[in-house]
Amino acid sequence: MSTKPTIASVVRSEWIKFRSVRSSVTGVVVTLLLTIGLGALITLAVRSHWSQTDAVRRATFDPVSTSLSGTLFAQFAVGVIGVLFITAEYSSGSIRTSLAAVPQRLHLVAAKALVVGLVVVVVAEVACFVTFLVGQSIFSGVVPTASLSNGAVLRSVIFAGLYLTLLSLVGMGLGLILRQSAASISVFTSLLLILPILTLLLPQSWQNAINRFEPSQLGQSMMSPTPTANTFGAWSAFLILALYTAGVVGVGAGMLERRDH
Amino acid sequence: MISVVHLTKRFRKTTAVNDLSFDVRPGVVTGFLGPNGSGKSTTMRLILGLDFATSGSATVNGKRYRELVQPLREVGALLDAKAVHPGRSARQHLRALAASNRLAARRVDEVLELTGISSVADKKVGTFSMGMSQRLGIAAALLGDPGILLFDEPVNGLDPEGIRWIRDLFQSLAREGRTVFVSSHLMSEMALTAEQIIVIGRGRLITQGSVDELTAGAKSEVYVRARDTSALEDALRTRAVTFRPEGPGFVVASLDAEAIGDLALAAGVALSTLTPQRASLEEVFMDLTADSVEYSASPAAHS
Repeated sequence: MSTKPTIASVVRSEWIKFRSVRSSVTGVVVTLLLTIGLGALITLAVRSHWSQTDAVRRATFDPVSTSLSGTLFAQFAVGVIGVLFITAEYSSGSIRTSLAAVPQRLHLVAAKALVVGLVVVVVAEVACFVTFLVGQSIFSGVVPTASLSNGAVLRSVIFAGLYLTLLSLVGMGLGLILRQSAASISVFTSLLLILPILTLLLPQSWQNAINRFEPSQLGQSMMSPTPTANTFGAWSAFLILALYTAGVVGVGAGMLERRDH
Repeated sequence: MISVVHLTKRFRKTTAVNDLSFDVRPGVVTGFLGPNGSGKSTTMRLILGLDFATSGSATVNGKRYRELVQPLREVGALLDAKAVHPGRSARQHLRALAASNRLAARRVDEVLELTGISSVADKKVGTFSMGMSQRLGIAAALLGDPGILLFDEPVNGLDPEGIRWIRDLFQSLAREGRTVFVSSHLMSEMALTAEQIIVIGRGRLITQGSVDELTAGAKSEVYVRARDTSALEDALRTRAVTFRPEGPGFVVASLDAEAIGDLALAAGVALSTLTPQRASLEEVFMDLTADSVEYSASPAAHS
Protein backbone atom coordinates (compact mmCIF):
# COMPACT_ATOMS: atom_id res chain seq x y z
CA MET A 1 0.00 0.00 0.00
CA SER A 2 1.59 3.19 -1.12
CA THR A 3 -1.51 5.33 -0.88
CA LYS A 4 -0.64 8.43 1.09
CA PRO A 5 -3.03 9.65 3.74
CA THR A 6 -4.95 12.75 2.80
CA ILE A 7 -7.34 14.99 4.63
CA ALA A 8 -10.01 12.47 3.55
CA SER A 9 -8.35 9.71 5.58
CA VAL A 10 -8.29 11.97 8.61
CA VAL A 11 -11.97 12.77 8.09
CA ARG A 12 -12.73 9.03 7.93
CA SER A 13 -10.78 8.53 11.15
CA GLU A 14 -12.65 11.35 12.91
CA TRP A 15 -15.98 10.00 11.67
CA ILE A 16 -15.17 6.63 13.28
CA LYS A 17 -14.28 8.47 16.49
CA PHE A 18 -17.46 10.54 16.38
CA ARG A 19 -19.90 7.69 15.90
CA SER A 20 -18.19 5.30 18.31
CA VAL A 21 -18.94 7.21 21.51
CA ARG A 22 -22.30 7.52 23.18
CA SER A 23 -22.11 11.25 23.86
CA SER A 24 -22.24 12.15 20.15
CA VAL A 25 -25.14 9.79 19.49
CA THR A 26 -26.96 11.18 22.54
CA GLY A 27 -26.23 14.71 21.37
CA VAL A 28 -27.78 14.02 17.99
CA VAL A 29 -30.91 12.41 19.49
CA VAL A 30 -31.32 15.25 22.00
CA THR A 31 -30.99 17.83 19.20
CA LEU A 32 -33.79 16.14 17.28
CA LEU A 33 -36.00 15.73 20.35
CA LEU A 34 -35.54 19.31 21.57
CA THR A 35 -36.09 20.89 18.17
CA ILE A 36 -39.09 18.82 17.16
CA GLY A 37 -40.60 18.00 20.57
CA LEU A 38 -40.42 21.47 22.09
CA GLY A 39 -41.39 22.98 18.73
CA ALA A 40 -44.57 20.90 18.82
CA LEU A 41 -45.28 21.84 22.46
CA ILE A 42 -44.81 25.55 21.82
CA THR A 43 -46.96 25.56 18.68
CA LEU A 44 -49.67 23.61 20.53
CA ALA A 45 -49.60 26.21 23.31
CA VAL A 46 -49.89 29.05 20.78
CA ARG A 47 -52.79 27.31 19.08
CA SER A 48 -54.70 26.74 22.31
CA HIS A 49 -54.27 30.37 23.42
CA TRP A 50 -54.95 31.89 20.00
CA SER A 51 -58.56 32.83 20.79
CA GLN A 52 -57.37 34.92 23.78
CA THR A 53 -54.47 36.50 21.86
CA ASP A 54 -54.94 40.23 21.31
CA ALA A 55 -54.93 41.92 17.92
CA VAL A 56 -51.47 43.52 18.26
CA ARG A 57 -49.85 40.19 18.97
CA ARG A 58 -51.77 38.58 16.14
CA ALA A 59 -50.57 41.23 13.74
CA THR A 60 -46.88 40.67 14.55
CA PHE A 61 -47.21 36.89 14.84
CA ASP A 62 -44.62 34.96 12.82
CA PRO A 63 -45.63 31.32 12.25
CA VAL A 64 -42.17 30.49 10.87
CA SER A 65 -39.88 31.47 13.75
CA THR A 66 -42.51 30.35 16.27
CA SER A 67 -42.53 26.85 14.79
CA LEU A 68 -38.69 26.87 14.93
CA SER A 69 -38.64 27.79 18.66
CA GLY A 70 -37.24 24.38 19.60
CA THR A 71 -33.89 25.52 18.20
CA LEU A 72 -33.57 27.86 21.21
CA PHE A 73 -33.10 24.72 23.30
CA ALA A 74 -31.38 22.55 20.71
CA GLN A 75 -28.65 25.18 20.32
CA PHE A 76 -27.19 24.05 23.65
CA ALA A 77 -27.22 20.41 22.55
CA VAL A 78 -25.31 21.12 19.33
CA GLY A 79 -22.87 23.32 21.25
CA VAL A 80 -22.18 20.43 23.61
CA ILE A 81 -21.68 18.07 20.64
CA GLY A 82 -18.98 20.39 19.30
CA VAL A 83 -17.36 21.00 22.69
CA LEU A 84 -17.18 17.34 23.70
CA PHE A 85 -15.75 16.21 20.38
CA ILE A 86 -12.64 18.19 21.33
CA THR A 87 -12.56 18.23 25.13
CA ALA A 88 -13.06 14.44 25.43
CA GLU A 89 -9.69 14.12 23.70
CA TYR A 90 -8.11 16.31 26.35
CA SER A 91 -9.84 14.79 29.38
CA SER A 92 -8.90 11.25 28.31
CA GLY A 93 -5.45 12.26 27.07
CA SER A 94 -6.11 10.70 23.67
CA ILE A 95 -5.24 14.05 22.04
CA ARG A 96 -1.61 12.88 22.15
CA THR A 97 -2.43 9.69 20.30
CA SER A 98 -4.41 11.72 17.76
CA LEU A 99 -1.58 14.20 17.22
CA ALA A 100 1.01 11.42 16.97
CA ALA A 101 -1.11 9.82 14.23
CA VAL A 102 -1.79 13.16 12.50
CA PRO A 103 1.10 15.52 13.27
CA GLN A 104 -0.28 18.03 10.76
CA ARG A 105 -2.43 19.55 13.49
CA LEU A 106 -4.46 21.81 11.22
CA HIS A 107 -5.53 18.75 9.23
CA LEU A 108 -6.87 17.33 12.46
CA VAL A 109 -8.87 20.51 13.16
CA ALA A 110 -10.18 20.63 9.60
CA ALA A 111 -11.24 16.98 9.75
CA LYS A 112 -12.96 17.42 13.10
CA ALA A 113 -14.75 20.55 11.89
CA LEU A 114 -15.91 18.75 8.75
CA VAL A 115 -17.27 15.80 10.71
CA VAL A 116 -19.07 17.94 13.31
CA GLY A 117 -20.31 20.38 10.66
CA LEU A 118 -21.61 17.68 8.30
CA VAL A 119 -23.29 15.63 11.02
CA VAL A 120 -24.97 18.65 12.60
CA VAL A 121 -26.03 20.23 9.32
CA VAL A 122 -27.83 17.03 8.31
CA VAL A 123 -29.42 16.48 11.72
CA ALA A 124 -30.34 20.14 12.20
CA GLU A 125 -31.85 20.57 8.74
CA VAL A 126 -33.96 17.43 9.18
CA ALA A 127 -35.03 18.66 12.62
CA CYS A 128 -35.89 22.16 11.39
CA PHE A 129 -37.89 21.00 8.38
CA VAL A 130 -39.77 18.45 10.47
CA THR A 131 -40.53 20.93 13.26
CA PHE A 132 -41.62 23.55 10.71
CA LEU A 133 -44.03 21.13 9.00
CA VAL A 134 -45.32 19.75 12.30
CA GLY A 135 -45.81 23.30 13.59
CA GLN A 136 -47.72 24.44 10.51
CA SER A 137 -49.99 21.41 10.64
CA ILE A 138 -50.70 22.15 14.31
CA PHE A 139 -51.47 25.81 13.47
CA SER A 140 -53.55 24.83 10.44
CA GLY A 141 -57.17 25.96 10.62
CA VAL A 142 -56.73 28.11 13.76
CA VAL A 143 -53.52 30.13 13.54
CA PRO A 144 -52.09 31.70 10.33
CA THR A 145 -49.59 29.37 8.67
CA ALA A 146 -46.61 29.75 6.34
CA SER A 147 -45.59 27.67 3.33
CA LEU A 148 -42.23 26.51 2.05
CA SER A 149 -43.24 27.64 -1.42
CA ASN A 150 -42.51 31.16 -0.17
CA GLY A 151 -38.78 31.83 -0.75
CA ALA A 152 -38.28 33.79 2.46
CA VAL A 153 -39.94 31.05 4.51
CA LEU A 154 -37.81 28.33 2.90
CA ARG A 155 -34.68 30.41 3.61
CA SER A 156 -35.67 30.85 7.25
CA VAL A 157 -36.04 27.10 7.78
CA ILE A 158 -32.74 26.35 6.03
CA PHE A 159 -30.97 29.11 7.99
CA ALA A 160 -32.34 27.75 11.27
CA GLY A 161 -30.43 24.53 10.54
CA LEU A 162 -27.34 26.50 9.55
CA TYR A 163 -27.58 28.52 12.77
CA LEU A 164 -27.37 25.29 14.78
CA THR A 165 -24.51 24.06 12.59
CA LEU A 166 -22.46 27.21 13.11
CA LEU A 167 -23.09 27.04 16.86
CA SER A 168 -21.79 23.46 17.00
CA LEU A 169 -18.59 24.71 15.36
CA VAL A 170 -18.39 27.60 17.85
CA GLY A 171 -18.59 24.92 20.58
CA MET A 172 -15.76 23.04 18.90
CA GLY A 173 -13.65 26.19 18.69
CA LEU A 174 -14.25 26.95 22.38
CA GLY A 175 -13.21 23.38 23.16
CA LEU A 176 -9.96 23.93 21.27
CA ILE A 177 -9.27 27.14 23.15
CA LEU A 178 -10.28 26.05 26.67
CA ARG A 179 -9.68 22.26 26.48
CA GLN A 180 -12.07 21.61 29.37
CA SER A 181 -15.67 20.47 28.97
CA ALA A 182 -17.15 22.42 31.85
CA ALA A 183 -15.35 25.68 31.05
CA SER A 184 -16.19 25.46 27.34
CA ILE A 185 -19.87 24.70 27.95
CA SER A 186 -20.11 27.56 30.48
CA VAL A 187 -18.64 30.06 28.05
CA PHE A 188 -20.85 28.78 25.25
CA THR A 189 -23.96 29.10 27.40
CA SER A 190 -22.92 32.56 28.60
CA LEU A 191 -22.51 33.80 25.04
CA LEU A 192 -26.09 32.81 24.27
CA LEU A 193 -27.83 33.55 27.58
CA ILE A 194 -25.81 35.96 29.72
CA LEU A 195 -24.69 38.34 26.99
CA PRO A 196 -28.26 39.46 26.16
CA ILE A 197 -28.95 40.00 29.89
CA LEU A 198 -25.80 42.09 30.32
CA THR A 199 -26.74 44.36 27.44
CA LEU A 200 -30.04 45.09 29.21
CA LEU A 201 -27.97 47.14 31.65
CA LEU A 202 -26.96 49.51 28.86
CA PRO A 203 -28.92 52.62 27.74
CA GLN A 204 -31.66 51.81 25.21
CA SER A 205 -29.85 53.44 22.28
CA TRP A 206 -26.76 51.30 22.96
CA GLN A 207 -28.92 48.21 23.26
CA ASN A 208 -30.42 48.92 19.87
CA ALA A 209 -26.94 49.16 18.39
CA ILE A 210 -25.44 46.14 20.16
CA ASN A 211 -28.25 43.59 20.46
CA ARG A 212 -28.24 42.77 16.80
CA PHE A 213 -24.64 41.53 17.00
CA GLU A 214 -25.36 38.97 19.72
CA PRO A 215 -25.25 35.33 18.58
CA SER A 216 -28.76 34.56 19.81
CA GLN A 217 -30.19 37.68 18.09
CA LEU A 218 -28.32 36.76 14.89
CA GLY A 219 -30.06 33.38 15.11
CA GLN A 220 -33.46 35.07 15.44
CA SER A 221 -32.67 37.26 12.44
CA MET A 222 -31.64 34.20 10.42
CA MET A 223 -34.94 32.44 11.18
CA SER A 224 -37.26 35.40 10.50
CA PRO A 225 -38.75 35.70 7.00
CA THR A 226 -39.00 39.48 7.44
CA PRO A 227 -36.48 41.57 9.40
CA THR A 228 -37.68 43.36 12.53
CA ALA A 229 -36.54 46.76 13.81
CA ASN A 230 -32.88 47.15 14.92
CA THR A 231 -31.84 43.74 13.57
CA PHE A 232 -29.88 42.50 10.60
CA GLY A 233 -31.41 40.87 7.57
CA ALA A 234 -31.15 37.06 7.39
CA TRP A 235 -28.19 37.00 5.02
CA SER A 236 -26.19 39.61 6.92
CA ALA A 237 -26.89 37.81 10.19
CA PHE A 238 -25.74 34.52 8.64
CA LEU A 239 -22.50 36.07 7.38
CA ILE A 240 -21.74 37.76 10.70
CA LEU A 241 -22.30 34.54 12.64
CA ALA A 242 -20.17 32.64 10.11
CA LEU A 243 -17.44 35.21 10.70
CA TYR A 244 -17.68 34.75 14.48
CA THR A 245 -17.46 30.99 13.99
CA ALA A 246 -14.44 31.25 11.74
CA GLY A 247 -12.81 33.52 14.32
CA VAL A 248 -13.37 31.17 17.27
CA VAL A 249 -12.32 28.05 15.34
CA GLY A 250 -9.35 29.93 13.88
CA VAL A 251 -8.11 31.05 17.30
CA GLY A 252 -8.60 27.50 18.62
CA ALA A 253 -6.72 25.99 15.69
CA GLY A 254 -3.88 28.47 16.15
CA MET A 255 -3.61 27.57 19.83
CA LEU A 256 -3.60 23.83 19.05
CA GLU A 257 -0.89 24.42 16.48
CA ARG A 258 1.40 26.23 18.92
CA ARG A 259 0.74 24.42 22.15
CA ASP A 260 2.77 21.66 23.80
CA HIS A 261 0.75 18.52 24.35
CA MET B 1 17.10 5.26 14.41
CA ILE B 2 16.25 8.11 16.77
CA SER B 3 18.69 11.02 17.04
CA VAL B 4 18.52 13.56 19.81
CA VAL B 5 20.97 16.45 19.38
CA HIS B 6 21.54 19.14 22.02
CA LEU B 7 17.87 18.90 22.90
CA THR B 8 16.67 21.44 25.46
CA LYS B 9 13.17 22.07 26.74
CA ARG B 10 12.37 24.78 29.24
CA PHE B 11 8.94 25.24 30.81
CA ARG B 12 8.77 28.74 32.27
CA LYS B 13 11.37 28.38 35.04
CA THR B 14 12.17 24.68 35.04
CA THR B 15 14.46 23.03 32.52
CA ALA B 16 12.96 19.61 31.87
CA VAL B 17 15.50 18.55 29.25
CA ASN B 18 18.96 20.07 29.29
CA ASP B 19 21.28 19.83 26.26
CA LEU B 20 20.54 16.14 25.81
CA SER B 21 22.24 14.21 22.99
CA PHE B 22 22.00 10.51 22.20
CA ASP B 23 21.23 8.06 19.41
CA VAL B 24 18.92 5.09 19.70
CA ARG B 25 20.01 2.37 17.26
CA PRO B 26 18.00 -0.32 15.55
CA GLY B 27 18.33 -4.01 16.43
CA VAL B 28 18.53 -3.70 20.21
CA VAL B 29 16.25 -2.73 23.06
CA THR B 30 17.45 0.58 24.48
CA GLY B 31 16.41 1.38 28.02
CA PHE B 32 15.81 5.01 28.95
CA LEU B 33 16.39 5.31 32.67
CA GLY B 34 15.96 8.09 35.12
CA PRO B 35 14.20 8.87 38.37
CA ASN B 36 10.66 10.26 38.21
CA GLY B 37 10.71 13.81 36.92
CA SER B 38 14.07 13.41 35.21
CA GLY B 39 12.69 14.36 31.78
CA LYS B 40 12.08 10.96 30.19
CA SER B 41 8.48 11.61 29.21
CA THR B 42 9.25 15.14 28.02
CA THR B 43 12.03 13.77 25.82
CA MET B 44 9.62 11.25 24.33
CA ARG B 45 7.03 13.95 23.69
CA LEU B 46 9.70 16.05 21.99
CA ILE B 47 10.67 13.10 19.76
CA LEU B 48 7.00 12.68 18.81
CA GLY B 49 6.56 16.38 18.01
CA LEU B 50 3.96 16.82 20.75
CA ASP B 51 6.10 19.38 22.58
CA PHE B 52 8.25 22.00 20.88
CA ALA B 53 11.94 22.03 21.74
CA THR B 54 13.40 25.24 23.15
CA SER B 55 16.57 24.42 21.21
CA GLY B 56 18.26 21.42 19.62
CA SER B 57 16.47 18.73 17.68
CA ALA B 58 14.99 15.28 17.84
CA THR B 59 14.63 13.31 14.60
CA VAL B 60 13.35 9.91 13.59
CA ASN B 61 14.95 8.36 10.50
CA GLY B 62 16.57 11.74 9.88
CA LYS B 63 13.28 13.66 9.80
CA ARG B 64 11.43 15.73 12.33
CA TYR B 65 8.33 13.84 13.44
CA ARG B 66 5.94 16.50 12.16
CA GLU B 67 7.34 16.07 8.65
CA LEU B 68 6.30 12.42 8.53
CA VAL B 69 3.50 11.75 6.07
CA GLN B 70 2.42 8.40 7.48
CA PRO B 71 3.89 8.59 10.98
CA LEU B 72 2.31 5.36 12.23
CA ARG B 73 4.23 3.41 9.55
CA GLU B 74 7.53 4.77 10.85
CA VAL B 75 7.02 5.29 14.57
CA GLY B 76 4.76 3.53 17.03
CA ALA B 77 4.43 5.01 20.49
CA LEU B 78 2.81 4.18 23.78
CA LEU B 79 2.93 7.16 26.13
CA ASP B 80 0.00 6.61 28.46
CA ALA B 81 -2.05 3.44 28.26
CA LYS B 82 -5.09 5.10 29.84
CA ALA B 83 -5.15 7.89 27.25
CA VAL B 84 -8.04 6.43 25.28
CA HIS B 85 -11.64 7.63 25.29
CA PRO B 86 -13.19 5.36 27.96
CA GLY B 87 -16.47 5.08 26.07
CA ARG B 88 -14.96 3.74 22.85
CA SER B 89 -14.27 0.08 22.15
CA ALA B 90 -10.71 -1.10 21.62
CA ARG B 91 -11.53 -2.08 18.04
CA GLN B 92 -13.01 1.33 17.17
CA HIS B 93 -10.04 3.10 18.75
CA LEU B 94 -7.66 1.11 16.55
CA ARG B 95 -9.88 1.50 13.48
CA ALA B 96 -9.86 5.27 13.83
CA LEU B 97 -6.07 5.26 14.14
CA ALA B 98 -5.68 2.94 11.15
CA ALA B 99 -7.97 5.09 9.02
CA SER B 100 -6.00 8.26 9.76
CA ASN B 101 -2.85 6.75 8.25
CA ARG B 102 -4.57 4.65 5.60
CA LEU B 103 -3.44 1.41 7.16
CA ALA B 104 -5.12 -1.81 6.03
CA ALA B 105 -8.16 -2.63 8.17
CA ARG B 106 -6.91 -6.20 8.70
CA ARG B 107 -4.00 -4.77 10.73
CA VAL B 108 -6.52 -3.97 13.47
CA ASP B 109 -7.42 -7.66 13.83
CA GLU B 110 -3.77 -8.66 13.57
CA VAL B 111 -2.56 -6.43 16.41
CA LEU B 112 -5.56 -7.35 18.56
CA GLU B 113 -4.57 -10.99 18.08
CA LEU B 114 -0.87 -10.30 18.65
CA THR B 115 -1.50 -8.53 21.95
CA GLY B 116 -4.04 -11.07 23.11
CA ILE B 117 -7.03 -8.74 23.49
CA SER B 118 -9.21 -10.01 20.62
CA SER B 119 -11.77 -11.35 23.06
CA VAL B 120 -12.34 -7.91 24.64
CA ALA B 121 -11.96 -5.91 21.41
CA ASP B 122 -15.59 -4.78 21.42
CA LYS B 123 -15.72 -3.84 25.10
CA LYS B 124 -15.47 -0.22 26.18
CA VAL B 125 -11.90 0.74 27.03
CA GLY B 126 -13.12 2.32 30.29
CA THR B 127 -13.78 -1.18 31.64
CA PHE B 128 -10.22 -2.35 30.94
CA SER B 129 -7.71 -3.25 33.64
CA MET B 130 -4.33 -1.52 33.53
CA GLY B 131 -2.82 -4.63 31.97
CA MET B 132 -5.43 -4.74 29.21
CA SER B 133 -4.96 -1.00 28.58
CA GLN B 134 -1.20 -1.53 28.26
CA ARG B 135 -1.84 -4.26 25.72
CA LEU B 136 -4.18 -1.99 23.77
CA GLY B 137 -1.53 0.75 23.84
CA ILE B 138 1.02 -1.71 22.48
CA ALA B 139 -1.47 -2.84 19.83
CA ALA B 140 -1.85 0.80 18.76
CA ALA B 141 1.92 1.25 18.62
CA LEU B 142 2.32 -1.83 16.43
CA LEU B 143 -0.58 -0.92 14.13
CA GLY B 144 1.50 0.55 11.31
CA ASP B 145 4.23 -2.12 11.60
CA PRO B 146 6.74 0.66 12.33
CA GLY B 147 10.54 0.34 12.42
CA ILE B 148 10.78 2.56 15.51
CA LEU B 149 8.92 1.94 18.74
CA LEU B 150 8.73 4.13 21.85
CA PHE B 151 7.25 2.94 25.10
CA ASP B 152 6.92 5.11 28.19
CA GLU B 153 6.86 2.98 31.35
CA PRO B 154 5.15 0.05 29.62
CA VAL B 155 5.35 -2.44 32.50
CA ASN B 156 3.43 -0.24 34.95
CA GLY B 157 0.40 -2.14 36.17
CA LEU B 158 1.25 -5.41 34.46
CA ASP B 159 1.12 -8.74 36.26
CA PRO B 160 4.24 -10.97 36.22
CA GLU B 161 2.95 -12.91 33.23
CA GLY B 162 2.33 -9.64 31.37
CA ILE B 163 5.80 -8.34 32.23
CA ARG B 164 7.36 -11.50 30.88
CA TRP B 165 5.26 -11.23 27.72
CA ILE B 166 6.24 -7.60 27.16
CA ARG B 167 9.93 -8.36 27.74
CA ASP B 168 9.85 -11.15 25.14
CA LEU B 169 7.91 -8.93 22.75
CA PHE B 170 10.47 -6.10 22.97
CA GLN B 171 13.33 -8.47 22.39
CA SER B 172 11.69 -10.10 19.40
CA LEU B 173 10.86 -6.66 17.96
CA ALA B 174 14.52 -5.71 18.32
CA ARG B 175 15.66 -8.97 16.72
CA GLU B 176 13.52 -8.08 13.71
CA GLY B 177 15.81 -5.07 13.33
CA ARG B 178 13.52 -2.45 14.85
CA THR B 179 14.56 0.41 17.09
CA VAL B 180 12.97 -0.22 20.49
CA PHE B 181 13.20 2.63 23.01
CA VAL B 182 11.73 1.89 26.43
CA SER B 183 11.65 4.25 29.39
CA SER B 184 11.49 3.05 32.95
CA HIS B 185 12.37 4.05 36.47
CA LEU B 186 12.73 0.35 37.32
CA MET B 187 16.39 -0.49 36.84
CA SER B 188 15.94 -4.17 37.64
CA GLU B 189 13.40 -4.42 34.83
CA MET B 190 15.71 -2.72 32.33
CA ALA B 191 18.61 -4.97 33.32
CA LEU B 192 16.53 -7.89 32.11
CA THR B 193 15.02 -6.27 29.01
CA ALA B 194 17.46 -3.78 27.59
CA GLU B 195 20.84 -4.24 26.01
CA GLN B 196 21.72 -0.57 25.74
CA ILE B 197 20.98 1.91 28.49
CA ILE B 198 20.71 5.68 28.46
CA VAL B 199 20.59 7.22 31.94
CA ILE B 200 19.36 10.76 32.53
CA GLY B 201 18.93 12.82 35.68
CA ARG B 202 17.46 16.31 35.88
CA GLY B 203 17.17 16.40 32.13
CA ARG B 204 20.86 15.77 31.52
CA LEU B 205 22.59 12.75 30.09
CA ILE B 206 24.42 10.93 32.87
CA THR B 207 25.78 7.97 31.00
CA GLN B 208 25.05 5.58 28.20
CA GLY B 209 26.34 2.20 27.16
CA SER B 210 25.56 -1.49 27.34
CA VAL B 211 24.31 -2.99 30.59
CA ASP B 212 27.63 -4.88 30.90
CA GLU B 213 29.70 -1.73 30.46
CA LEU B 214 27.70 0.15 33.03
CA THR B 215 27.87 -2.50 35.72
CA ALA B 216 31.52 -3.43 34.99
CA GLY B 217 32.81 0.00 35.97
CA ALA B 218 30.92 0.03 39.22
CA LYS B 219 32.36 -0.80 42.60
CA SER B 220 32.18 -4.45 43.54
CA GLU B 221 31.85 -5.99 46.96
CA VAL B 222 32.49 -9.41 48.50
CA TYR B 223 30.25 -11.27 50.89
CA VAL B 224 32.25 -13.26 53.41
CA ARG B 225 31.21 -15.56 56.23
CA ALA B 226 32.93 -17.80 58.74
CA ARG B 227 31.72 -20.22 61.39
CA ASP B 228 33.71 -18.16 63.89
CA THR B 229 32.15 -14.80 63.21
CA SER B 230 34.00 -12.85 65.89
CA ALA B 231 37.40 -14.15 64.77
CA LEU B 232 36.63 -13.05 61.21
CA GLU B 233 35.50 -9.64 62.43
CA ASP B 234 38.73 -9.22 64.44
CA ALA B 235 40.80 -10.22 61.40
CA LEU B 236 39.02 -7.68 59.21
CA ARG B 237 39.36 -5.00 61.86
CA THR B 238 43.10 -5.46 62.42
CA ARG B 239 43.70 -5.00 58.69
CA ALA B 240 41.59 -1.80 58.64
CA VAL B 241 39.28 -3.25 56.01
CA THR B 242 36.07 -1.38 55.11
CA PHE B 243 33.19 -3.72 55.85
CA ARG B 244 29.72 -3.90 57.30
CA PRO B 245 27.82 -6.76 58.92
CA GLU B 246 25.09 -8.33 56.84
CA GLY B 247 23.13 -11.29 58.14
CA PRO B 248 25.47 -13.81 59.70
CA GLY B 249 28.46 -12.52 57.66
CA PHE B 250 30.06 -9.32 56.36
CA VAL B 251 30.11 -7.33 53.15
CA VAL B 252 33.64 -6.17 52.35
CA ALA B 253 34.05 -3.20 50.07
CA SER B 254 37.77 -2.50 49.98
CA LEU B 255 39.29 -5.92 49.18
CA ASP B 256 38.70 -8.44 46.43
CA ALA B 257 37.91 -12.10 47.16
CA GLU B 258 41.50 -13.26 46.71
CA ALA B 259 42.86 -10.76 49.26
CA ILE B 260 40.15 -11.70 51.76
CA GLY B 261 41.06 -15.37 51.35
CA ASP B 262 44.72 -14.57 52.05
CA LEU B 263 43.75 -12.46 55.06
CA ALA B 264 41.62 -15.23 56.53
CA LEU B 265 44.34 -17.82 56.00
CA ALA B 266 46.90 -15.58 57.73
CA ALA B 267 44.53 -15.08 60.66
CA GLY B 268 43.72 -18.78 60.84
CA VAL B 269 39.97 -18.24 60.26
CA ALA B 270 38.17 -20.88 58.18
CA LEU B 271 35.74 -19.26 55.74
CA SER B 272 32.39 -20.86 54.99
CA THR B 273 31.31 -18.39 52.30
CA LEU B 274 33.28 -16.10 49.98
CA THR B 275 31.12 -14.56 47.24
CA PRO B 276 32.01 -11.60 45.00
CA GLN B 277 28.91 -9.43 44.52
CA ARG B 278 28.75 -7.42 41.40
CA ALA B 279 26.79 -4.23 41.76
CA SER B 280 23.35 -4.49 40.21
CA LEU B 281 22.31 -2.01 37.57
CA GLU B 282 20.01 -0.59 40.18
CA GLU B 283 22.90 0.22 42.51
CA VAL B 284 24.88 1.69 39.63
CA PHE B 285 21.90 3.82 38.80
CA MET B 286 21.45 5.01 42.37
CA ASP B 287 25.10 6.05 42.54
CA LEU B 288 24.93 7.81 39.18
CA THR B 289 21.78 9.76 39.87
CA ALA B 290 22.89 10.65 43.40
CA ASP B 291 25.95 12.27 41.82
CA SER B 292 23.81 14.15 39.36
CA VAL B 293 21.62 15.50 42.12
CA GLU B 294 24.69 16.75 44.01
CA TYR B 295 26.14 18.24 40.86
CA SER B 296 22.90 19.96 39.90
CA ALA B 297 22.42 21.35 43.37
CA SER B 298 25.76 23.14 43.39
CA PRO B 299 25.39 26.85 42.59
CA ALA B 300 27.95 26.73 39.78
CA ALA B 301 25.93 24.19 37.81
CA HIS B 302 23.15 26.62 36.93
CA SER B 303 25.01 29.81 36.26
